[in-house]
Amino acid sequence: MSQTRIRVLCIDDEARILRALKALFRDMDVLTTTEPSEAIAWAAQHDVDVIVCDQRMPKMQGIEVLREVKLAHPRAMRILLTGYADLNAVLGSVNDGEVFRYIAKPWDNTELRETVQLAARIARDAPVVQDKPVDEFDRETARKQVGILVIEDDPETQQRMREILQPHYQVRFVTSPERALTVLEQHETGVVISETAGQHGDFTALIKSLKQYHPHIATVVVTDRANAQVAIDLINEGQVFRLLLKPLRMGSCRLSVDAAVGRYWQLKQNPAAAKRYFVAPRPDAQIPSWLSGSLLQRIRLLPQRLLGMARAV
Amino acid sequence: MIVGDRMFETLLIVCCLALAAYAGYAHWQLGKQRLRASEAAAELEKVQATQSQVIHTTKLASLGQMIAGVAHEMNTPIGFVKSNVEVVRDLLGEYRTLVQKCLQGFDVMLAADLSKPQTIEPLRRAMTKVRDALANDTRLADGDDLLKDSVDGLTQIANLVRNLKGFARVDRDGMDMFDLNESVESALMIAGHQLRDRIEVKKELGTIPKIRGVASQINQVLLNLITNAAQAMDDRGTLSVASRRSGDMVEVEITDTGAGIPDDVLPKIFDPFFTTKPVGEGTGLGLSIVHKIVQSHGGSIKVRTAPKKGSTFTVSFPLDHALLRQPA
Ligand SMILES: Nc1ncnc2c1ncn2[C@@H]1O[C@H](COP(=O)(O)OP(=O)(O)OP(=O)(O)O)[C@@H](O)[C@H]1O
Ligand SMILES: [Mg+2]
Repeated sequence: MSQTRIRVLCIDDEARILRALKALFRDMDVLTTTEPSEAIAWAAQHDVDVIVCDQRMPKMQGIEVLREVKLAHPRAMRILLTGYADLNAVLGSVNDGEVFRYIAKPWDNTELRETVQLAARIARDAPVVQDKPVDEFDRETARKQVGILVIEDDPETQQRMREILQPHYQVRFVTSPERALTVLEQHETGVVISETAGQHGDFTALIKSLKQYHPHIATVVVTDRANAQVAIDLINEGQVFRLLLKPLRMGSCRLSVDAAVGRYWQLKQNPAAAKRYFVAPRPDAQIPSWLSGSLLQRIRLLPQRLLGMARAV
Repeated sequence: MIVGDRMFETLLIVCCLALAAYAGYAHWQLGKQRLRASEAAAELEKVQATQSQVIHTTKLASLGQMIAGVAHEMNTPIGFVKSNVEVVRDLLGEYRTLVQKCLQGFDVMLAADLSKPQTIEPLRRAMTKVRDALANDTRLADGDDLLKDSVDGLTQIANLVRNLKGFARVDRDGMDMFDLNESVESALMIAGHQLRDRIEVKKELGTIPKIRGVASQINQVLLNLITNAAQAMDDRGTLSVASRRSGDMVEVEITDTGAGIPDDVLPKIFDPFFTTKPVGEGTGLGLSIVHKIVQSHGGSIKVRTAPKKGSTFTVSFPLDHALLRQPA
């Protein structure tokens, strides 16, 4: 890592933002452009470590740029830097861009620099997981071995998921974090599907803590409480794999869960890659009281044997 | 060098003060506007019940829209100004360290016994090194560029605030002579966050005489038309805004390359509460407000539309009679 300078590519339609970033990252090699197509070509050409991209641009949306870059140069870590928090952009940055962090303008200099440094370290250390679909044999094995846990207390959604997923996977339903932990302790679970909240309160703290200790478990959040800030936090602190809105559609739900199982399966084969989904709790994060005690301890101690792999991080 | 350093610090402080002042100013303006909005609301209560409800709804909607629009628009300049000011401070700190090294060299030199040739040579070498480092250092020039951008950004923020004020016309909310082109600019600025990333804006603003009217209401008319145009273009598109004089009238034309309006919908678009937008997205009040305001100004509104090609809304206002009597 120390052998060469970090290489960052910044894309924004505002040249003055680019100059500010260049000055902020003055100890790194910085490429800047206002042209999305140029950025997509440069990412692989210059083998950049990190991409910092604006969302709202006249020629192309940031998430589109990041989706293209992800295909062309998967090694680079992707950061979205935006002055707007509209829900569609946030959803797209998860489901299409698979961004590492979603950062708001105006940004905090120290925080942005640290995020880029962390991302660069990960981009260099952690191998890339292929997004290729799991093949037939693997899919059969995965189906037999890998459980899916659904945390959801709305009976209608439960029923819907049962219809969509039960024929293909081992699905277990719970309505509280407490029960969720019991399932996680007893069964190898590759994918957690969860609402952001239920009768038993907020689920996002659980999703985030789970990611922090077990980054290879893919989380799919399904919600009708759509809120851009909650979604942004789920990216930055929970590296959520997919974010879906209710009512659930059969097609997108199946696709997302298949992809999530695929991702888990890849990470199981290649544990070092899980670093790419690294999250740490925010320093000012309030861990809810129900989670702070024994439950958090149980998350930390989830038996590795059931996760089917050595802990990666 | 030292003087330059001080100057930078002064500039820096000025920048920070300016930022704080603008923030305060914006806050004050918004406060004032809220006051006016509630005053206006109280006044409206006296008016006919249905009418007051309609106008009241848009007043609030446009205030919210305005604040959201401007807040978003400001995040970009605030973003780089804030970052730049912090970086310049770091650069100054690093530069100060260099200058201090240089000064230390001077002190050593001044204290040294220069009659001995064996002290002079190493001293000379050390001093040359420090001197070169200082001479080739780009921090001051870099900082200068960053501050230039920052001053730019602050001007932009100031303009946004001025536009906001112009849009609401908090200072004189009544019949007055005003420039329609300024209203167009204000409305485009307020709608900026709906347009910026996907819609190309073409302006052809002619030289037109001022007209008499309530500027804040006309701003509202233009904003509603621009908003509709933006919403009619699902993906990318072009919004053209033109103004011109046409005989005794001035007109503004707002053209989109959007969905167009089907024949069976067209007769209903000015009806209050008629909307084709999903529940929660459209109130169906936009065009009925437009109609009411244009009518109360003695103006008229025309629509041309072609399905899948787009629509043109043309609003015309009569020129002031006094002005017409004057020789051109
Ligand atoms: N530029 C346009 N292109 C296509 N259709 C339009 C355009 N402007 C208006 N319409 C049609 O006229 C309808 C009424 O417009 P109006 O502005 O009154 O309400 P709205 O836009 O639906 O709701 P709101 O203004 O509260 O957002 C719209 O729902 C739309 O069907
Ligand atoms: Mg409308």
